[in-house]
Amino acid sequence: MAAPELAQTDPEGIEGVRMTWLNWPRSKVEASKCVIPIAASIQPIRPHVDLQILPYPPLRCKTCSAVLNPFCRVDFTALIWICPFCFQRNHFPQHYSSISQTNVPAELYPNFPSIEYLIPNYQNPQNYNPAVASSPIYLFVLDTCMIEEELEFAKSALKRAIGMLPDNAMVGFISYGTQVQVHELGFSEMSKVYVFRGSKELSRDQVLEQLGLGVSGGRRAGPGIQKGGAGPSPTAGAGPNTGINRFLLPASECEYTLNSLLDELATDQWPVAPGNRALRCTGVALSVAAGLLGASTAGTGARIIGLVGGPCTEGPGAIVSKDLSDPVRSHKDLDKDAAPFFKKAVHFFDELGKQLVSQGHVLDVFASALDQVGIAEMKVAIEKTGGLVVLAESFGHSVFKDSFKRIFEDGEQSLGLSFNGTLEINCSKDIKVQGIIGPCTSLEKKGPAVASTVIGQGILQLGRWSNPQLYIQFLTSYQSPDGQMRLRVTTVTRRWVDSTLGNEDLIQGFDQEVAAVVMARLASYKMEMEEGFDATRWLDRNLIRLCSKFGDYRKDDPASFTLNPCFSLFPQFMFNLRRSQFVQVFNNSPDETAYFRILLNRETISNAAVMIQPSLISYAFNSLPAPALLDVQSIAADRILLLDSYFSVVIFHGMTIAQWRNMGYQNQPEHQGFALLLQAPHDDAQLIIRDRFPVPRLVVCDQHGSQARFLLAKLNPSATYSNAHEMMNSGSDVIFTDDAFDDCILVGYGQGRGVCGFDVIGEKFREEENQLAMRNLQRAKKAAVLFKILSFFPRISSDVGESGASTVATLIVLLVLAITSTAAPLDTEGGDGGFGREKNERDECFLLCVNEKLCACDVRVAEQRSICCQNYCLEKCGSGEVHSCGDLPKKPICP
Amino acid sequence: MATPGGPRPGNAPPNYNPNALANNMQNLQINQQQSSNVGGTAHRPPNTSPFGQQPPPFTGSRPGPIPPGVFARGPMPPSNPAQTTLPPNMVPTRPTGPPPGSRPPPFASRPPPPGALPSPITGTAAPPNSGAGPRPGPFSFSPLTSGPSAPPQMSSHGQVSNGPPAFGPGMAQSGPRFPPAMGGMPRPSGGPPQSPPVLSSGPSSQPLQVRPSFGSPPAGVSSSIGQLAPPFSTPSQAPPFSAPSPAPPFSASPQNMPPPPGSSPFSPPVPGVLHSSGSPFGMQTWPPQQQQQQQVAPPPLIPGAMQKQQMFGMPPGQPPLPNQSMSLGQTGQSKIDPNQIPRLSTSSSVILHETRHDNQANPPPPATSEYIVKDTGNCSPRYIRCTINQIPCTVDLLSTSAMQLALLVQPLALPHPSEEPIQVVDFGESGPVRCSRCKGYINPFMKFIDQGRRFICNFCGFTDETPRDYHCNLGPDGRRRDADERPELCRGTVEFIASKEYMVREPMPAVFFFLIDVSMNAIQTGATAAACSAISQVISDLPEGPRTMVGIATFDSTIHFYNLKRALQQPLMLIVPDVQDVYTPLESDVIVQLAECRQHLEILLESIPTMFQNNRIADSAFGAAVKAAFLAMKNTGGKLLVFQSVLPSTGIGSLSAREADGRSNISAGEKEAHKLLQPVDKTLKTMAIEFAEYQVCVDLFITTQTYVDIASLSVVPKTTGGQVYYYYPFSALSDAAKLYNDLRWNVMRPQGFEAVMRVRCSQGIQVQEYSGNFCKRIPTDVDLPAIDCDKTIMVSLKHDDKLQEGSECAFQCALLYTTVYGQRRIRVSTLSLPCTNMLSNLFRSADLDTQFACILKQAANEIPSGPLAQVRDQATNACINILYSYRKFCATVSSSGQLILPEALKLLPLYTLALLKSNGLRTDGRIDDRSFWMNYVSPLPTPLVIPLVYPRMIAIHELDEKELELDDSIIPTSIPLSSEHISDDGIYLLENGQDCLIYVGASVQQNVLQQLFGISSVEEISNQFILEQYDNQLSKKLNAIVNEIRRQRCSYLRLKLCKKGDSSGMMFFSYMVEDKTPSGLSYVEYLIHIHRQIQSKMT
Repeated sequence: MAAPELAQTDPEGIEGVRMTWLNWPRSKVEASKCVIPIAASIQPIRPHVDLQILPYPPLRCKTCSAVLNPFCRVDFTALIWICPFCFQRNHFPQHYSSISQTNVPAELYPNFPSIEYLIPNYQNPQNYNPAVASSPIYLFVLDTCMIEEELEFAKSALKRAIGMLPDNAMVGFISYGTQVQVHELGFSEMSKVYVFRGSKELSRDQVLEQLGLGVSGGRRAGPGIQKGGAGPSPTAGAGPNTGINRFLLPASECEYTLNSLLDELATDQWPVAPGNRALRCTGVALSVAAGLLGASTAGTGARIIGLVGGPCTEGPGAIVSKDLSDPVRSHKDLDKDAAPFFKKAVHFFDELGKQLVSQGHVLDVFASALDQVGIAEMKVAIEKTGGLVVLAESFGHSVFKDSFKRIFEDGEQSLGLSFNGTLEINCSKDIKVQGIIGPCTSLEKKGPAVASTVIGQGILQLGRWSNPQLYIQFLTSYQSPDGQMRLRVTTVTRRWVDSTLGNEDLIQGFDQEVAAVVMARLASYKMEMEEGFDATRWLDRNLIRLCSKFGDYRKDDPASFTLNPCFSLFPQFMFNLRRSQFVQVFNNSPDETAYFRILLNRETISNAAVMIQPSLISYAFNSLPAPALLDVQSIAADRILLLDSYFSVVIFHGMTIAQWRNMGYQNQPEHQGFALLLQAPHDDAQLIIRDRFPVPRLVVCDQHGSQARFLLAKLNPSATYSNAHEMMNSGSDVIFTDDAFDDCILVGYGQGRGVCGFDVIGEKFREEENQLAMRNLQRAKKAAVLFKILSFFPRISSDVGESGASTVATLIVLLVLAITSTAAPLDTEGGDGGFGREKNERDECFLLCVNEKLCACDVRVAEQRSICCQNYCLEKCGSGEVHSCGDLPKKPICP
Repeated sequence: MATPGGPRPGNAPPNYNPNALANNMQNLQINQQQSSNVGGTAHRPPNTSPFGQQPPPFTGSRPGPIPPGVFARGPMPPSNPAQTTLPPNMVPTRPTGPPPGSRPPPFASRPPPPGALPSPITGTAAPPNSGAGPRPGPFSFSPLTSGPSAPPQMSSHGQVSNGPPAFGPGMAQSGPRFPPAMGGMPRPSGGPPQSPPVLSSGPSSQPLQVRPSFGSPPAGVSSSIGQLAPPFSTPSQAPPFSAPSPAPPFSASPQNMPPPPGSSPFSPPVPGVLHSSGSPFGMQTWPPQQQQQQQVAPPPLIPGAMQKQQMFGMPPGQPPLPNQSMSLGQTGQSKIDPNQIPRLSTSSSVILHETRHDNQANPPPPATSEYIVKDTGNCSPRYIRCTINQIPCTVDLLSTSAMQLALLVQPLALPHPSEEPIQVVDFGESGPVRCSRCKGYINPFMKFIDQGRRFICNFCGFTDETPRDYHCNLGPDGRRRDADERPELCRGTVEFIASKEYMVREPMPAVFFFLIDVSMNAIQTGATAAACSAISQVISDLPEGPRTMVGIATFDSTIHFYNLKRALQQPLMLIVPDVQDVYTPLESDVIVQLAECRQHLEILLESIPTMFQNNRIADSAFGAAVKAAFLAMKNTGGKLLVFQSVLPSTGIGSLSAREADGRSNISAGEKEAHKLLQPVDKTLKTMAIEFAEYQVCVDLFITTQTYVDIASLSVVPKTTGGQVYYYYPFSALSDAAKLYNDLRWNVMRPQGFEAVMRVRCSQGIQVQEYSGNFCKRIPTDVDLPAIDCDKTIMVSLKHDDKLQEGSECAFQCALLYTTVYGQRRIRVSTLSLPCTNMLSNLFRSADLDTQFACILKQAANEIPSGPLAQVRDQATNACINILYSYRKFCATVSSSGQLILPEALKLLPLYTLALLKSNGLRTDGRIDDRSFWMNYVSPLPTPLVIPLVYPRMIAIHELDEKELELDDSIIPTSIPLSSEHISDDGIYLLENGQDCLIYVGASVQQNVLQQLFGISSVEEISNQFILEQYDNQLSKKLNAIVNEIRRQRCSYLRLKLCKKGDSSGMMFFSYMVEDKTPSGLSYVEYLIHIHRQIQSKMT
């Protein structure tokens, strides 16, 4: 109803609901002709200023249990309301007797399609005693298998978080490495931890028993409920602290304890054999955490907040062997079924997820590592429980720090974490829910509103329509951060249209953004679930079908093609989606892909749209900031570009701007304009960052700087090496697409995030290398390529020689493995320093040059993160012998 | 029983009457006499004759007094037919007829008797210590017990302070023992001549007396003599008794004392004895005396000692071996005079013992005596004792004797403070010289030939090249010229520094891991607090230095480790909750250097009891805890000290209260009773073997008030070279001090880690089996994760070939171990004994203490595997068979009515009887008590075996009176374990090395009670008793005595006050092994029983 008006500024509105089609085709067949499925995106507990909170329980229809809403017809004299879903007539109960035309309760106000009820709720079957507001539980699970510095970062983030928790929040703490340590915070005599072996899978009951929580009420049917006091192992420790309260304490009580505990917490002491990964039992740690929470009262909201610093290598949930020479699985391995740990781990996390869901608890994972940590495997548990996930390179990095902080912060930026949500959907008779894609778990309730085909998301309509309007009601019950139980009721209505009469109504009701996001989710989902699914082709096909249905054209006349403005952006979305990390997974690790998809599935439509198609704003003198084309051609020497690709925000200074800045013009009063120009994108970036979770990476770079790759990777490569020379002359930039690399090996690793454009081994080269086909490459092309690279990596260029051309001539292949440390590439201040300034570059930069007769290697390694590369280099070059190019590995996998 | 046969004259009268007795008892004579003589001081009851003895009779019986010679081990003087050797002994002895007198002279050298002694002691004392110094290093003993004070004993007579028991005690008797003496004496002293006479006369009597061993024997001599002449008379006559009693000291205990009569004579002898012994060795110098002084010393000893010896000689037939014959009157045993029955006599004088003399092995002094060894080629008997000091040439001879051939090896035994320290030899990189075939270590019996270029191994006979840098020319005597400068060529025991090839890894650090039960029971009984406090105090006694590491954990149904790293502000408790599948919670930091964690440790130990004070967990995961601690120690190995208070009820290796099951099902229980003494399953055994593999030794301190299934638990200590300590019923009040002292001694006593031991024998003999607390993975070696000075291993031997008469058979025990300071060493002890074809020689050279120790240990081993009755029968049969053999082949002359006992083994029946009445073989014992007993016995050193079954009892109510007489012996003479010696107005102290019972008669004078215990009537006695020292002589003396005993036993002793009429009194009387009990025979009855059995075999 009100949606159209609100759409401009706040498309989701108070309802938090957006649909691909505003008006619905009348039949199943017609719906399928629409190509884009009918789908609704719901933000179940979207905060909104106008949201009313009613301190009494909702009225429900006695047949379909839908809640009283503004769309009900009310007979104020008879005190009767008619349910719009089932048309049941219901009597108002006694306490509604005073309502009248002029005295309408809030839930009947048309302005409040969403309304929230406080208190009891019968909707939530898990909550037996809703009157008691139980405090939310935060159980922190900290990995200690990291270098000291990282651990310090993580610890200080934890301390800050704990300081920000509400006083009544219950806090627990588990640390783990090779073993799991459950800290008993309620033990006053000294620090006390329960230690679990990392290699052994434990059931919830085992965990409880071993923690001395015994079998709580459950098995003991005795009248005297003795929480945690009984069972085979009666309570440990002193009398009063018997139950779970030994491990979970109100933040106000345990802050000191936790802080001192964290102060003393050291990195994992178990020895790591050389050439091996640390033994890290993330799986067991999380399952112990879940088990521990199992002892809390049913229905209490709880989150497990995991801080993970590397891959799980020990016990269930392991994703990779301990041997560093075995790389963590890549997409290719997954495709080829060459990831021996993958399925087992996924199964483990799946079970864990189920357990958590049944307990009503959430799993959040904050992963900070250069290597993969197994998000791809944990995804299932995270999504099922509706958990958060943040992937960063370091616990010291703002992506982690700020995101983490944001969870716990009060105030406007608070995420308003709530727990234990249950979403129910009531809909008109003609509609069924087909499925949901998103961070949730099905209650597996069968009912008339649930279609038999699960999967996908969408609301499928059946044939006949008896009513011009259709209604859908979303009931979300949840525990708010302050522990109250609430029920939010959102009721929406849409109009049926008869598409046989024309597409106009449909077209007008098309929401391109929603459609793009729906396609993205569907494509991702299918890629995960369907073997051999070719997302690109699927997208292409659908785009073509859509255009052919809704576009205007004459046959055989391409020029005649026009598309209604309502669809104008959609092809562009699809183009970018095809190139996005959601579809092109091979430049990313499975973890990253999982991460991106998790976020895609949980973010709002507008945010998801940004992920698919970044926004680019250009800042220049004499003009207002303006959106720019997502194309290389938008790069200009005298412009500043602000790219928001959701996961990162890039401020890109054109060459001239950078020079000016380096000369300090902005500090001169007479160039205040320049200062403002410089400042503007930063301000805007901060605006973006402020509202976003996880906090995006901010990259500030200059044209031709190494970090410019963050921008270039997202731009449309209208210029490639083949027309490089012309383009460069214009001050623009060259993008190297995959095509450009087919005849060359060029592997440049950033943080393994795939943001850089060099993670490619040219297929062509690989095929032809043995014939030394490279000799035939055009030198000009190579020169361009190399020149480009060398300018990205100044350090390397000095190794190779300043004059790109002459040196290049002697090179057949240049293989660059650049592993940047956590700090360096992220250091936005570093500008174009490539691998960062000396002080930050703590490690890793490899240069491997292979020519016909020479093999040289420059290896500098610091941390184990780079070990795989190091091994690779050493293996290939350590001997100093000549290697033929054929020795190159298929997949140099980095971090 | 009446063995009718008893030729003896008067048999009839009931033994008991002194006078009458005399007549009756013909039997005992020998002993008695001697004993009596000796006895003066000596406890030896044997002589008992005191009362009336029938001395006379016997003499008769014993005709064959054996030519003393026998003993003479080596060289038998041609003299008598039978035993050449004998002569010597005899000689001396005899002559002495007038013992005292005689001896002295011989030994002119002797310093002044008693008096002298003391002084020397002190004087010497100092030196010794210092001298000892070296060793002390490793082993310094600190006084164990001394409770609080714990003065370093060494220093001033250290002994005094209980400290290191080790030395102190010296047993008295030995005085005489010195073999050397013998050797020397006899001959020189012209004694020889006498001897002959002796023989003739003495035959009978002689036997009794002194062990040949001592030449010194003056004592022996005397005794023997006694018999012959004076002694006899004395003993025989009732008077002895009276006399004895009079005898100052003894008055109290008439019986023992008996000797008195003789005593007078003896007493002198005594001194003499000392001297004598001394003399041989150059006496004065000997420090020994010093010790004595502490002890009572000088005097008495003799008796006991003496008696035994002579036996050997026995020529096959006639020459009377030294025996003790008792004629059991035909009339029946009843006639036996208890006072004549052979009894243990203790003497307090110190014996000097040279291990070899004149190139012959000297038979060692009794294990229970105090002696000082001079290592002249054979190792000290402290390290290796053989059941027979001559090796039968053939297996037939051995089986005829019915004795067993075995070694008791105690490789790290505590030396006497006055002994020279063991020399440490460093061969550098190449390691010690060894036989290339059998790997025997170089020793004084390897024979160098061919100008020293080669040497012949005394074990396998192989001829080896002498390593070039070890070459040395031979002197005219065929010995290497440097033999006397090289300890390995002139000493029976040396210690080699191990070279690299003896190390699999760096020598391990000294790791001490404490594991404490904190389950509800442990907390509530105060066991946890006691353990914590003990550990806390002991921390300062652990070896200093960076190599000492400690760890601590507690457990109930979970296991709690503690991270003690200094960097932490406070200890961090780490709980391992999975008791089915345990693990260690940290790779490092659970075990840290002592220096780094002292403070944390103290705080922790202090807080543990309070931290758990409200613990309601009754379960105890012993097995899991031990396993987890093991995992933490796995990298290094070390000592795991576990304090356990209840039956392990959860986790791996949990146990059930099967004792109760057994009780409830009596019919099955009876049949299968012994099964309760077996481990319930193999879980713990398997674990223990793994522990041993990683050099972890487990000591178990059981502080309980209930059944804990020691049979199962003890497997762990037993397999890992550890030990069980048992405090039942645990009392926080009275046991805390003992716990502390036990723990203290446990960590402070000389010990070694990651040890391997092997015994090698000369060709013809081989090791059959090892038994003790260790883990055996290959048949030839014994693995000892830890070994200490209190651990003894029994090595039974078998023949695999004949030996040559006149040759010597050598045994070598090599112990490779790591000292607490991280040095890898090899302690090599070599013992070379003569071989013989003569049965009589075997009997004469039998070592009673060692033999009995073997019988005891074997019985203990068999208890779990068969019905108790069978084990009991076996013990009795072993005794009967030996005596029968002796009777049949060595004492045929005597009348069949007489019970004839070989002098050396005359106490065997008494010990056997005591064994039958001991905890282990009693039918009415608690299962745990019996299991503990079995376990206690397993590694028990020989000197402690005897007191275990036949405890020492002394009267303490008359300490005051005795003061003057026993000035230099702290411990008064002991009393036979018979209730007739207990009077209602007396207070008696009885100790067996473990427990110490103080029995307070019903009508004891109030002022005595007040003085000793600070109470005014017997009723006030509580069952939790702590000995306090009050400001009066009596109390001081009692404390001094208790401390002295503690020192002697290396054990704090559990003190208990007993009074008539309650369970404590019953317990006390249950130790009166000579009494008749509902389930057991009295000593006299038992002798008669034995006698009958022998008779029936004879026919």
